[in-house]
Amino acid sequence: MSSVDQSDLAKVQGFYFSSGSSLRPAETKPQSGPSIWSAVPSGYWVLAVLLLIMPALVSDFTLFQIFGWTFILGMIALSLMFLGGYGGMVSLVQMSVAGMAGYMVAIFGPSAITDISLGWPWWLNIPLALIIAVIFGTLTGALAVRTEGIYTIMITLAIASAFFYFTRQNYTIFNGFSGFNGVLPPELFGVDWRQAKPFYYLTLFWATLSFLIVSYVSRSPFGLALQGVRDNSRRMSALGFSVNAHRIAAYAFASLIAGIGGILLTWQSAQISPGTAGQGPVIDILVIAVIGGLRKPIGPFIGAFIYVLLKTFAIDVLVSLGLSGDRFQLLVGMSFLLIVFFSPDGILGLWDKWRESRNRDPLTERSSGGLQ
Amino acid sequence: MSIAAVPATVAERLSNTGTANALELRGVSKYFGALGALVDISMTVQPGERRAVLGSNGAGKTTLFNCITGDFLPTSGSIRFFGEDISEFPAHERIRRGLRRTYQISLLFTELTVLDNVYLACCGVSRGRFSFLRPRKNDALVATSEDLVHVVHLEDVKDTKVSELSYGQQRQLEIAMALSGAPRFVLFDEPAAGLSPTERSELVEILTGLPEHMGYIIIEHDMDVALRVSEYVTMMHNGAIFKEGKPAEIEDDPEVQALYLGGDDGA
Amino acid sequence: MRRFIERHPVWSLIIFVALAFFIWMIFAVWPDWLKDLIGRKKVFLNALFNGVTLGALYFLVASGFTLIFGLMRNVNLAHGSLYMLGGYVGYMVASSTGYWLLAFPAAFIVVGAFGILLQLFVFRRMEGDDLRQTLVTIGISIVMADLMLWLWGGDFYNITPPEWLSGPVQTFFVTGVKRSTGALIYMKYPVVRLVILAAAIVIGLVMWVLLNRTQVGMLIRAGVDDRDMLSATGARIQLVFVGVFAFGAGLAGLAGVVGGTFQSIAPGEDIRFLLASLVVVIVGGMGSITGAALGAVIIGMAEQFGSVYFPTYAVVLTFLIMVLVLAFRPQGLMGRG
Repeated sequence: MSSVDQSDLAKVQGFYFSSGSSLRPAETKPQSGPSIWSAVPSGYWVLAVLLLIMPALVSDFTLFQIFGWTFILGMIALSLMFLGGYGGMVSLVQMSVAGMAGYMVAIFGPSAITDISLGWPWWLNIPLALIIAVIFGTLTGALAVRTEGIYTIMITLAIASAFFYFTRQNYTIFNGFSGFNGVLPPELFGVDWRQAKPFYYLTLFWATLSFLIVSYVSRSPFGLALQGVRDNSRRMSALGFSVNAHRIAAYAFASLIAGIGGILLTWQSAQISPGTAGQGPVIDILVIAVIGGLRKPIGPFIGAFIYVLLKTFAIDVLVSLGLSGDRFQLLVGMSFLLIVFFSPDGILGLWDKWRESRNRDPLTERSSGGLQ
Repeated sequence: MSIAAVPATVAERLSNTGTANALELRGVSKYFGALGALVDISMTVQPGERRAVLGSNGAGKTTLFNCITGDFLPTSGSIRFFGEDISEFPAHERIRRGLRRTYQISLLFTELTVLDNVYLACCGVSRGRFSFLRPRKNDALVATSEDLVHVVHLEDVKDTKVSELSYGQQRQLEIAMALSGAPRFVLFDEPAAGLSPTERSELVEILTGLPEHMGYIIIEHDMDVALRVSEYVTMMHNGAIFKEGKPAEIEDDPEVQALYLGGDDGA
Repeated sequence: MRRFIERHPVWSLIIFVALAFFIWMIFAVWPDWLKDLIGRKKVFLNALFNGVTLGALYFLVASGFTLIFGLMRNVNLAHGSLYMLGGYVGYMVASSTGYWLLAFPAAFIVVGAFGILLQLFVFRRMEGDDLRQTLVTIGISIVMADLMLWLWGGDFYNITPPEWLSGPVQTFFVTGVKRSTGALIYMKYPVVRLVILAAAIVIGLVMWVLLNRTQVGMLIRAGVDDRDMLSATGARIQLVFVGVFAFGAGLAGLAGVVGGTFQSIAPGEDIRFLLASLVVVIVGGMGSITGAALGAVIIGMAEQFGSVYFPTYAVVLTFLIMVLVLAFRPQGLMGRG
């Protein structure tokens, strides 16, 4: 009784504002906007085609190590971007959620550690792992949202560290320091999914799917409400939204994406250990999301690609600069600092600024054509 | 564009209050430390009544609104909304019972468009607010949002980002947000502040044209606007109610004039 | 406190009884049933003392962190790196000059100066953008960690305290009764740890006095409550910011020397002490020195008791406390609601 439902509103709308016929729904511009062909910028179509035919262009190593890893890290960073960019909550627990999913797949499913792993089939252990990961992420969110936004980083970092220390010390469930190895994807449709080409398409599929879903949800009532909560939570309360419920739901949604990424990550190296979700990787996810840009879903994937390239070829770069190959963290840290200094919106921010400067009318200094 | 009568079924449900008052405050006080922002406020507002709350700066008017909507809890006293005791409810629960409010300083979502803002406001009290699905072509909420945008004369800028609107337009949007979700009672906090004379007449037109069952309380410094859109006036001073009466009586009351002479006159 | 007791009479009684029992446990000779239940009193007392002295160390690190956050809303995730820098600098100074005491001012000044540079050239430009500041501190911590690894390698550095501070001292806490003579046995505890505890208490009191009884302190506290109001009063707010950041950083450096003496300095300690600061201020409450003290003691004791009595799950105990505080009192024990 306390909420007004849609059918009432439909009646009210017709009579509330006497209109004659000028405001009937037929004239309403649909929220779904112009046709899908013109709505998506052409750059994305080119990228899509390129990605689909990639296996014909590059080596197996590149497919598996560079692109596979990019898609996986991109997904986990996407979950951070969803919470941070749309929700205003910078959560450092995403990698731990991913790690939890990976661990659960190793524990419930088959692995080389036979005295702990239960060896259950994939259609049981994968959903179970995702459910547990989502519960973990949601509970963390429930703890974090009751404090001011700025504490979120601290609280999620503390919980991520707790997860790391716990998995390292616990031997009965998590097998402590060594973790689990021999964690392989199931052989579905007779395909060995750890071969380069199948794995590439597998990760491409999930990355694309999560990208599309996040883009879609951002304009749904839930996504809009989340952005409203980000911009003005006081107003959202005053409009009838339960701010905390929305934030916690956002954590649940983000945890699902991170969980899928975590399972793929475990399959990629066929192992999971405390270090997978250690403090270094946890912060790296934030670095990736920020470098790419927190404003649009493509950002995390751009950041992941740059990170993976750096990580793979950094040694050569460092040596050419006369430094030891060990100084990878220094390189990452400096690049991160530079980006935050000069373009807090990451690569996407640089791109936007460049496009804006190209459109600028030299007389009025104003740029024509809106940005998306 | 005028607002016609609401059909019987919906109107009944919306204003079915039995004999309850729309808003009933009993002994409401709010202290910040030793500072009494509200001191023992008791007032009763009928459903559909148009009330103005006037007073100089610091009289406690906005604090009164904050207590009613739940931005903060009163130090003592009770608040009843259509017979229900809402004194301990969080803000969003009060809103879902049909209470709405505008703010002195517009609280809008600056990075979203006008239509998005109103759409969000409509979602707030409807069941679709957790929906992950985008609205379909003939979605009722989208249509309602469009209508509301028309009511406040903002249809030309409905796809513009709020940050690019003029001040007056933003104030109009504030009103649209408050009218969304078919509220039973609205609190308008200085809606005329900073508006040009033409905009003020538009505002008066919008307010007087609201459906009969929708009551409101308006805080205003502009006595002219306030007295034109209300049928009863409550005057506050130093956190307490100073006088109550019909607009004409208040206007002519010598004590009120003494209080206002030399003081802030709403400019 | 009186209001707390008025509002929660049952809880107050429980806490009072628990505290009374705890105090009895510390001072009395333990009966046999207690020894069978928990173990020897010496172990208990050691854990208690270690916990409190570790708490002193955590307090030094965390109070700097909470001051910086409380006033400037800057979640300084490089705080652990500042701690470690202080430790390395202290080691260099102590080992080259041979004077342990010199390490402290050296670390304080060097790290404090570094803090001044950071505030002036980095954070000042990002005033108001809290997230960006935090991101920068993350970047700085990554760079600093690698630079320190480069300069000092992966070894463990231990700062040895001077002769006159080494060795144990006899305290007045009874651990047991000598069965043969019936004489009381007193606990022996390392002098240096007691000295550092005393120093931390002194520093804490000095800070409390500075914050609550001086004009500068009043400015800082006002700024913690409402930063915009502070700048509106015309106070030289930038000077205050630089001063507070330098002081907070200096404290972290000081703590580094302490940590190097108690334990050691090595790569990874920065993350460990950043984490400790985070947990301490989450539990104790942000922007509050008393909160930092309370949180530090609780966490220090939890860690020590945990490692003695539940070694496999010591970590869990600490984080459990944090989760409980977050669940029931999100603003921290001494935080403002």
